[in-house]
Amino acid sequence: MIVKFSKIIYYKKSIIEAIRKYRHLADFSLKTTPDYITVSIKNIDKDLNDILKDEFCNYVLYLMKK
Amino acid sequence: MNKIKIKNNTIKFIFNIKDYPLEAIYGTAYVFIDNAYLFLNSQAPKKIEVFLKGKKKLSKKQLNNLKDEFLNELLHNTLRMTITKRNKKIREFIVSRALFSIIENIETKDKNYPEDSLNITVPWSKKKNKKIKTQSKKVSSKKKK
Repeated sequence: MIVKFSKIIYYKKSIIEAIRKYRHLADFSLKTTPDYITVSIKNIDKDLNDILKDEFCNYVLYLMKK
Repeated sequence: MNKIKIKNNTIKFIFNIKDYPLEAIYGTAYVFIDNAYLFLNSQAPKKIEVFLKGKKKLSKKQLNNLKDEFLNELLHNTLRMTITKRNKKIREFIVSRALFSIIENIETKDKNYPEDSLNITVPWSKKKNKKIKTQSKKVSSKKKK
């Protein structure tokens, strides 16, 4: 599963902080391109498969406001 | 704002970033975090795509309502930000004035000591001299008698 965060909207710092909080639920890897910060999520817990990506995106947005 | 798409319990719409400051968008997103899943994207320059996904299964009407509420909240936040910017100088003036008056009060309190009924501020040497004088007066008056 891949999530592409636009650099115009999202800060890398917030994404890294969110990965730190969620890393016990799945394997995360991060790549940076000129326009996007790409996060790939693998080995997601079966129970959380449907919601993990969405919850992760919400948490990044929460950190942006913070 | 144009291009509204509804798919998989998600409503997608696009608006221009020029009309709304980024801080207002973050503020609005923060309000909706409890009710919906949010994702923001900007594929075209100066345009933001918003993906609003219901945490529960929502009908088309409910998704449209969610979008309308989002846009209302966005307007509210934008207005708040413009007012905040406009009133910045006045707020700074009021706060600085309040702090200045507190400092003035502290300084005046330091200068004006409360009345010293127990003569605590009188030096020990002066107190001693006074005692000696009063004792000598008493002795002289007794002698005269």
